[in-house]
Amino acid sequence: MTGVIRQLQAERYKAKRRHSWAVVTALCLFLLLWSAFNFRNADSRELAQGYSTLFYQLPLFNTILLPLGLSVIASRLCDWEIKGNTLKLLCTLQRKGAFYDCKLLIGLGYLFVIALAETVSIAGIGILFRFTQTLEIHMLFLHFLQVFAAGTAIYLLQQTLSLLCENQLAPLGVGLAGSFIGLFSLYFPTQVSRLILWSYFCQFTPLAMDWDRASREISFYPTAFPLGLFLGFLAVIIGMYALGKFLFLRKEI
Amino acid sequence: MLIRCIRCEKLKLKHSILWLACLGIPVIPAIMGTFNYMGNLETLTPGWANLWTQETLFYANFFYAPLIGLCCAYLWRLEHRNHNWNTLMSAPVPAWAIILSKLAVILRTLILIQIWVGVLFLVSGKCIGVENRFPVETLGWLLRGTLAGAVIGALQLFLSMVIRSFALPIILALLGSIGSIYAAAKGIGLFFPYSLMMLGMNSNHAENMLEGQLAVFLASSVGMLLLFYLLSVLYLKKTDVKA
Repeated sequence: MTGVIRQLQAERYKAKRRHSWAVVTALCLFLLLWSAFNFRNADSRELAQGYSTLFYQLPLFNTILLPLGLSVIASRLCDWEIKGNTLKLLCTLQRKGAFYDCKLLIGLGYLFVIALAETVSIAGIGILFRFTQTLEIHMLFLHFLQVFAAGTAIYLLQQTLSLLCENQLAPLGVGLAGSFIGLFSLYFPTQVSRLILWSYFCQFTPLAMDWDRASREISFYPTAFPLGLFLGFLAVIIGMYALGKFLFLRKEI
Repeated sequence: MLIRCIRCEKLKLKHSILWLACLGIPVIPAIMGTFNYMGNLETLTPGWANLWTQETLFYANFFYAPLIGLCCAYLWRLEHRNHNWNTLMSAPVPAWAIILSKLAVILRTLILIQIWVGVLFLVSGKCIGVENRFPVETLGWLLRGTLAGAVIGALQLFLSMVIRSFALPIILALLGSIGSIYAAAKGIGLFFPYSLMMLGMNSNHAENMLEGQLAVFLASSVGMLLLFYLLSVLYLKKTDVKA
């Protein structure tokens, strides 16, 4: 146990002055401002469905921002060893598998903060703009779960790529392309978009939107949480973790 | 001297996979925008103009600047590694030539990307049988987009030079792109570098967004391009390097 704590502490030291917290803060602030911006001139009808609007829109913003944001965080945390060519020395002192896990835990810590900040800010925006809709706590929980689960899958992919590639151009290119593909896939039928990993920031929202063309008004209605899909996605995450670790363990250093 | 510097920058790009990102990323909006256009034909007026907005809306608004950011970060990557700053600063090369050569390489990459975007637009339109003649004004929009891209390139080159991280300037480009929507909505888009792309490429209107404002766009673009270039040269001249 002491060994794990010591290894995590070492990762924390390595992450010092790497400005990863600046990326996290910038992402959270941007999401907050972008969400709040939409309510600056909200009328009573919009305030009456304010929380639903946020629960529906934030996943879309996440699809645009988080894939690239997480790829930047993963790259910042992983290029230390790649740049300094220290993996060879490090792996004589530390098990390669434990190294992969520690990096993952530190990265997921950042993701946890992003998901938590976003969830808390939903309640904060509601109070600030005096939403008249009642906030359902289970929706907040589901939102947190969605951001964290989808983010974990993306982070696993990015960390594995960042550790495998000598040049960080490739993982960042994948992050950028992922944001793009994820955003576009939302305009496709559900069966198609579910094949795209980056679209999962939006796949578990238990809300659907109805746009009335005549009145040009948007309304939201609740749908069931796709539990089967979520469990299947968790299985994919476990598979990605196993594959990522396997590939890293096989990497010639 | 400048020609030699440009040759040197081109050498650094040899065998890099940058071309894969530059060619691959524009293919995504071309394919998905075309499918989106076909899926919404009952709401959109069929034609080249609406196909253009579908293909370039997200591309110009969100992803073009990070792509340029990726190229710029890659151009400074070598200098930030293995104490190469010391080598660079002790070489008998003036600061203006170093920055200008990088800017020239970025401009060449931008022109190739824009030609590729134009080709993809034409091919996708022909494949789905869009009728009417091909709109020649698209070429102008691509040209304006290249100029806007050069402004963003100059800014990103400055950021990638100052920030030693490869990844941070790219996320700044994405945040700048999102901020550009707000700037354009507030009417100050012509004076915000990241908004120039959306306005230049005419990406969210079927009509010309710069009607009567082309001179302001050109003046603003050239002004900002010079500003960021001079800022980079000044920084390189006055600030001590951290190797």
